[in-house]
Amino acid sequence: MSRTCKAAVFAATLAACIVPAAADAPPQVGIAAAMLNRVTIARGGAAQMRPAVLRQQVALSDLVETGARSQLQILLLDRSTFTVGANARLSIDRFVYDPAQGRSMSASVAKGAFRFMSGRPSRSANSSITTPIASIGIRGTIVDGVVGADAIAIASGERATGGARNSDPLTATLIVLRGPGANTRGNVVPGAITVSAGGQTVALERPLLAVYVPRAGAQPIGPFALSLSGLGRLQGLIFPALAEWRLATLPAPISNAPMPVPQRRQRPRGGLVGDPYGGDMGGDMGGDMGGGPGSGGMIPSYGAGIPSLPSMPRGTASRPQQAPPARTATTRQETVPANEPVADAPRQQEPTPPPPPPPPEEVNTPSTTSVAPPSADKSPPSDKSPTSNYNAPGQAPPPHTTSGKN
Amino acid sequence: MNLHRQMLPLLALALPLGLAALPAAAETISELEALSRTSAAPAGGINLAHRQISRGELTDALATLERVLINYPQARDAQLLRASVMCQLDDRAGSTAEFGQLRGRGVPEQALDAAIRECDSLNRQRNAR
Repeated sequence: MSRTCKAAVFAATLAACIVPAAADAPPQVGIAAAMLNRVTIARGGAAQMRPAVLRQQVALSDLVETGARSQLQILLLDRSTFTVGANARLSIDRFVYDPAQGRSMSASVAKGAFRFMSGRPSRSANSSITTPIASIGIRGTIVDGVVGADAIAIASGERATGGARNSDPLTATLIVLRGPGANTRGNVVPGAITVSAGGQTVALERPLLAVYVPRAGAQPIGPFALSLSGLGRLQGLIFPALAEWRLATLPAPISNAPMPVPQRRQRPRGGLVGDPYGGDMGGDMGGDMGGGPGSGGMIPSYGAGIPSLPSMPRGTASRPQQAPPARTATTRQETVPANEPVADAPRQQEPTPPPPPPPPEEVNTPSTTSVAPPSADKSPPSDKSPTSNYNAPGQAPPPHTTSGKN
Repeated sequence: MNLHRQMLPLLALALPLGLAALPAAAETISELEALSRTSAAPAGGINLAHRQISRGELTDALATLERVLINYPQARDAQLLRASVMCQLDDRAGSTAEFGQLRGRGVPEQALDAAIRECDSLNRQRNAR
């Protein structure tokens, strides 16, 4: 065989090797758009979890996990988002998206707290989220949920659940519709979900309605209006850093007399991050639909009676208070790889904001527009936004369809 | 050596063939990356959220602000705007709770009161329908 023939055979073999490999690779469905502390990903069924990096692509069947005090937002191609709190585990099992036709997505949440927000409105949207014991059908919705012991902890404070007895701490599931409400503004559609478990399906069509499934085979309990206390606890699980900041910045009491330092609320079983929403509603609204969310006495006042702190200059993110403290930023930049957990800061007596871990370092996506977390000895973030990469409105994405296997 | 020279054109042909088989989502993934970068700091994220709100992309704006708050939970402006977006989304309980959380935490009272008044006004219009 001539050398030319050998070369041709070699090249053809090389091409044949490349094409199937690429074709077999699981389709990319989104990216890790924001993350905090420890997030790991196992590629399509692989056993080994590897630390994720900011803006890492997420593919179908990737198993995503978050560690303690960690958080992740996955941004999907249709602009849907999955936000998960600490100690969560999820995967995107199916994703089909064509801007002209619609989308279909299914995901599994094995444990932890999550928030899913549907992406752009489309002609046909068929999304679902499954937990170990329940299936959630989604239509244009913001839905929050939690799987595991934290679901029991929240549900046990709701009258409608009867104390959440006989619940499975591994699989108990609490689902809450958050919106959009029927009178929403903007280019969004009112949200609605169905929750199926134990052979029964329950529909939720108003924000703050919730359903609780205590164990495998059990029928859903609800719908009931989640108490603000329960909502606050759930938000604390999904947004742990925000909850910690709020706990550390509890407003000063009204009286001039010395008051005891605000105590962290007793954690209910399940180890919740806290109750950033303060007021103990005691779950009294559970089961009492009344006029529905927003229509009656269930809405507390807007923090009336709390003295105002010294006024701050208006506008914005250039205030020093918004810069992440230098301790963790500097430390992490110098010594800690991206996404490694950062040691807890000792809580101070004064209600000053705790140093939240800074954004993870961008590891393998060099960019001229990324913004490094500012440190204390640097000026805070500029008001000039790094928006050069953002596509202008009306610039429709190219038609794209990605589908995967279950 | 001659073999390598002969292979070069063929390799040049083979590699694009392989690359062509990659998912065609690269541009869209790039868009997502741009969104993520833009919201990597509070100022950029808030600006982006304002633009999204002006286009009626309220859930996009909410997602943007929540990206900001993952790493900058102390970003009061992002919290305030988020509460306002929740109000626009007709999540009344959620927005009320969020507004309540901001009282006494360093948010300028004027800005907070204005946002609350706007939300109240919106809710009154809704109730009047």
